[in-house]
Amino acid sequence: MKWNKESDVKQPSAERRGSAGLGSALAEYRGFGMGFGRESERAEEIENIDFKMVTFSLAGKDYGIDIMKVKEIAKFGRFTYVPNTRPFVTGVYNLRGEIISIIDLRLLFNLPVEPRDQDEPQDGLILRLENNLIGVVVDRIDRVVGISSESIQPPHPIFADINISYISGVVEHEERLYIILDAERIFTKDNRATDPQQRSDRGGERAAVGEGLAAQPGSDVEYRKQPTAERADSAAGQSPGGLESGDSDAGSTEVRDASATREAAAGDDSEFGFVVDGLATFGKLQYSAVNRDWLKQRYVQWATERRSAGKQAQLAGEQDADEFMLPFFSPCTARLWEQTYAEAVRAVLPDFDAAIVNAWNPGCGKGYESYSLAALLTEAYQGKRVKVFAGDNDLLRISTAPSLVLSPEEIPAYLQPYCAETRNGIGFSDRLKNSILFEYHDVLHESDVPETHVVLCRDLISLLPSDEQERLLTKIYEALVHGGILITGKNERLAHDGRWEVVGPEVSAYRKV
Amino acid sequence: MRVEYINPFVESAYNVLKEVLNGDVKRGELFLKSTAMPVLGVAAIVGLAGDVEGRVVFDMTRETAVNIASAMLEAMEMEPITTLNDMGRATINELANMITGQAVTKLHDLGFKFDLTPPAILTGDNMELSDSGVEALIVPMEVPQGKIEINVAIRERA
Repeated sequence: MKWNKESDVKQPSAERRGSAGLGSALAEYRGFGMGFGRESERAEEIENIDFKMVTFSLAGKDYGIDIMKVKEIAKFGRFTYVPNTRPFVTGVYNLRGEIISIIDLRLLFNLPVEPRDQDEPQDGLILRLENNLIGVVVDRIDRVVGISSESIQPPHPIFADINISYISGVVEHEERLYIILDAERIFTKDNRATDPQQRSDRGGERAAVGEGLAAQPGSDVEYRKQPTAERADSAAGQSPGGLESGDSDAGSTEVRDASATREAAAGDDSEFGFVVDGLATFGKLQYSAVNRDWLKQRYVQWATERRSAGKQAQLAGEQDADEFMLPFFSPCTARLWEQTYAEAVRAVLPDFDAAIVNAWNPGCGKGYESYSLAALLTEAYQGKRVKVFAGDNDLLRISTAPSLVLSPEEIPAYLQPYCAETRNGIGFSDRLKNSILFEYHDVLHESDVPETHVVLCRDLISLLPSDEQERLLTKIYEALVHGGILITGKNERLAHDGRWEVVGPEVSAYRKV
Repeated sequence: MRVEYINPFVESAYNVLKEVLNGDVKRGELFLKSTAMPVLGVAAIVGLAGDVEGRVVFDMTRETAVNIASAMLEAMEMEPITTLNDMGRATINELANMITGQAVTKLHDLGFKFDLTPPAILTGDNMELSDSGVEALIVPMEVPQGKIEINVAIRERA
């Protein structure tokens, strides 16, 4: 995945490939040309196999589940039937002393089950979910397939025979098309909703946005937790995710169900949920407390604009998503900060006692903002040593950062003293360059972060998966010194959880309390 | 990992492999890894010290190691090997040394002072490699004799 905030206006997948370097760019190119099939396959072979999945078949179609979720592949026989459960709950099973519940995926997805001998053991998988194990019965286990996660394509609404929100993607491998199921979404309740503290922090809305069955009444989450409990509502109860609807309308019913659960979040419009999903699918933004206010306000504006133009509020494609996101980004994204913005940032910088002032700039892209920040810090903390740690996981962008070339007209006044003539044109002086350390780094990876006074992290948090957002915020909080400053995107808000204190009205910045 | 360190390693790996194996060398896509990863069977490790601390691991299957060592030995008009014996290990050691040495020389020219430790070779099945608190840059290389994964983890000394 790619968390570079500069990807705002371009297609992320293309960007990612762009960063891949010559080898894969070539492979990509050949791939388009066709007729070079073997050549491109060979080039792809040395590409990164970073996603392995266990594949299996259900009603003749191929599916995959992330191998990290699979504890083991098993043959299930002799289940203990549990009365009064939903039809897809096959029973409970004794796995070496641990009782796990078994779900028949074919019944869950409303697919035909081949008749078979009752006593014959059936193929299945034991999945390791967040906190528990669950067994699923499938037609046949195939094998383990390794692919590059970049080749996974987002699900398309046309795969309606399984609720689209259960599908994390589609991938082609050796001329077979695998539908990758998202085990967490199918079987797990959105864990954010289960943590009472977080729930109160972020309000119920966020929980309601959670995908899958979880948000719906009578969901199988309850079965999972108490497989043997009696369930009087099962006969009359509402079917989760259209499980019992056998007609061709099943897909759309499910989608409507899912959006209905999000209605609470939007307040007035069920299409809000689609927009949230769309943004996540296109890798633009992940809905969370950080960007909730903006997203709602932008949605209202967007829907009004679109309706007056006679269009639907839904995001029909990447282009729509880009358009939707346009106002999100902070001023001077991916370029040198203008004088006014720089002055506003300068105004929120407090005095620090230390002799060394460290700053951290994850998601720095080509480094324009890191240079701007380094210059401001040097100016603000004269006599102290300023060090900016800037990182990005886009190799191509970050590679250009250390030797950035500028055009004279784009250099604002406050940066003038830090510019110098270099071999390739006007660049930054060695003095400024030496105060910045550019790293090829992925913020999602474990790494040591030095004690930091200022963190510049604009429009990056919102692009991460929602659980990672919280992790990164905690990481930032821990890295900052007491009284340290976090500068976020102009539309990003931190929760009032006692950790942060708002500073400066002109720049969205927070002080560690 | 600091951006300036990446290219010297990629370039020297490409140059050295091309020179000693005299064949087609392809570089795969670079990526970062922070979790434990399996080692293919033969791993040559070179430690780095100086302004930084870190190590470079050259990881390949036993078969690839034998093929590469044979190709290098043949180029020097010596007997090829069939199993990974002392000669084979010494040859792989030398390859690791050449690549890392050239990279460090390039880095020296850029103003970074690195020292090398003598390479060590680990062989075995089902080995895993993990680093704590530092990401590894993976440079996959493909040569006619097989695949080599170059795993570079470098951390600035605080």
